[in-house]
Amino acid sequence: MIPPTIGQLPPELDLYAAIFGVFATIFIYSFLWKENPLSRAVEHLFVGLAAVFTLAYMYDAALSQAVWGTERLAEGYYIWLIPLILSLMYFFFFTKKYFFLYRYPVSIVAGIMAGMMICGMIQSNFMVQIQSTAALPLIGEVDGVGVWEGWPPQGLDSIIIIIGVITALSFFFFTWEHTGVLGVSTKIGRYVLMATFGAAYGGTVMARMSLFIGRLTFLYQASYEDWFWAWYLIPVAVILVIIVGLWGRTSSAPTRSTYSTKPTEREET
Amino acid sequence: MSTSKGAGIDRRYLYILLFILASIPILYPLNLPVTIGEHSRLVFELTDALPAGSIVVSSFDFGPATITENRPQAKAHLFHCKELGLRVVAVAFWAAGGPLGHSVLTDVYGEGYELSEEYGTEIVFLGYIPGAEVGMQTFGDDPWQAKGTDHFGTAIADLPLMQEVRSAADVDLWGEWTSGTPGEQQVIQFVQGRHQGENPGWPETGYMPLVVGSTAVSVPGMMPFYQAEQILGILNGLAGGGEYELQLVDAYDYALVAALPLLDSQSVGHVLIIVFIAIGNIGWAISKSGGGRGA
Repeated sequence: MIPPTIGQLPPELDLYAAIFGVFATIFIYSFLWKENPLSRAVEHLFVGLAAVFTLAYMYDAALSQAVWGTERLAEGYYIWLIPLILSLMYFFFFTKKYFFLYRYPVSIVAGIMAGMMICGMIQSNFMVQIQSTAALPLIGEVDGVGVWEGWPPQGLDSIIIIIGVITALSFFFFTWEHTGVLGVSTKIGRYVLMATFGAAYGGTVMARMSLFIGRLTFLYQASYEDWFWAWYLIPVAVILVIIVGLWGRTSSAPTRSTYSTKPTEREET
Repeated sequence: MSTSKGAGIDRRYLYILLFILASIPILYPLNLPVTIGEHSRLVFELTDALPAGSIVVSSFDFGPATITENRPQAKAHLFHCKELGLRVVAVAFWAAGGPLGHSVLTDVYGEGYELSEEYGTEIVFLGYIPGAEVGMQTFGDDPWQAKGTDHFGTAIADLPLMQEVRSAADVDLWGEWTSGTPGEQQVIQFVQGRHQGENPGWPETGYMPLVVGSTAVSVPGMMPFYQAEQILGILNGLAGGGEYELQLVDAYDYALVAALPLLDSQSVGHVLIIVFIAIGNIGWAISKSGGGRGA
C-alpha cells in the first residue's frame, strides 16, 4: 500500500525541494524566451513524474479494493477477479500474437462509458437545460418580487438568454441559405458565440495568470530556516538558461524543434 | 525573432513587463478593495445555513498544476465546515487528489488529524477512488462499494460517520474542487441526476446541493448548470477563493488566507493585459485605416 503521506517531503528535505523548485520553475518558463534543452528536460520530467504517479496510485487503489485492505478475494468474493483479469489483459497491447485480447477490456470500458454517458448527458446536459430555458420568467413575480423590478431585471436577463439561445442555434442551421430573417438571426448568433468565446478567453487569461502568480509567490516566499530564500537562485537559473540557449544557437547545425511552427525546406517546396 | 503583427512589439518584452508588474504587488501589497461576487456569496450562505451535523462531501479533483486556484478554495470551505460543526466525508477522484487532499485536511484539522478523536465521527478521508466517472457513480450509489478502506487503510465499516453515508441521498452538500474531468459535470451527470429527489431536505428542484470551486477557465462552461440550479454556487478561480476567504475573515477571523493576498497581483496583471489588447486593437485600426491589410 502506498503510504498516505506520499507527496509530503520530510522537513529535512525542504531545502533541496526549494532549490529544485526554483530551477524547475525558471527552466519551464524559459520556454517563453525560446525552446531550449532545459525547458524540454523539465517538461519531460513533469510528464514522466505525473504518469508514474498516476499509474502507481491507480494500481494501488485497484488492488486495495480487491486484494488487500478489504481482502474481498480472501473472503470469497471471487467476482473481483474479473476486473483484475480485465486490467491485466491491457498488457496484450505489447504482443503481436495476442493483440486481439487487448480489445476486450477496451471494448468493455468503451461500452460502459457510452452507456453511462448517453443516460447522464441526455438527462443533465440536454433535458434539464431545455427545461430551465423554457421556464425562464418573463411576466409576473418570482419569490414575491416582480420580474421587471430591480436592476438588472430578471425579465431582461431572460430575454437576452432566449434570444441568445435561439440565434446561436440558428447559426448551426444549414438547411436553408443564411439570408433574410435567418441571415439576421445567424448574424446575431455569431455575435453571441463571439461573446461566449470572449468570456472563455477571459477565464483562460485569469486562470493562467493565477498559476503564474502561484509560481511567483513560490519564488519570492519559499525559504529554508532563516538563511536561504528561493529567490537567491533566480539569477543563477536565468544565467544557466541564457548560456544553454546561446550555446544551442551557436554549436550544432540547427535541427527542427519539436514544437516549431516554421516549415522545413521540404514542406516549403 | 518573432513579433506581434498588430503592434510590432516582440511578445517577450510583454512577458518581462508582466513578470515585473505582477511581482510588485507580491512584494509590496497594494491592498486593493475586493468585492464579494454573487457566486462566492451563495457558496458561503448555502454552507452557513446548514445545521450542525450535516454531512458534506468534499471532493479533491485537481492536480498540482492548479493548486494555486483550487487549494485555497478547498481549504477555506473545509475550515467553514469545521467551524459550523459539519461532518465531512472527503474523497478524491483524481489520483493526485489523494495526497493533495491529505495536505489540505492537515492544514485545516491539524497534523495527525487521522489519529484524533474527531476522525471517523466528524471527518473521514476516503482518499483516491479509481475509475473516474464509474468510481464517482459508484460512490453516489453506494460509497461502501466504491472504497473498502479510507486513505489510511481503515475499513469503512469501522468509521462511525460512514454508517450514515450509504448513498448520495445522505449528503446535504457536495463541495467539488476541480480543474477538469472528472469534475462538476460528472457529479451532475452521475450522482446528482441519478439521485434526484431522494432527500426531502434538498431544494425544490430535487437536486443534491452542489457548490463548485474551479479554475477560472472552466467557469463560463458551468453557467448553464448554474442557471438551471444544478450548481448552486461557484468559486471562480483565485478570485473566488479570495472572496470566500474574505467572508471567512469577517465572520470567523480566518487565519489561513492564501488567495486573498494574491488578488492585487492578479488585478494588476489583468489591467496590463487589457492595455495590451487595447494597444493591439489601436495598432490594427491604424494599420487598416492607413491602407494596410491589418493583422
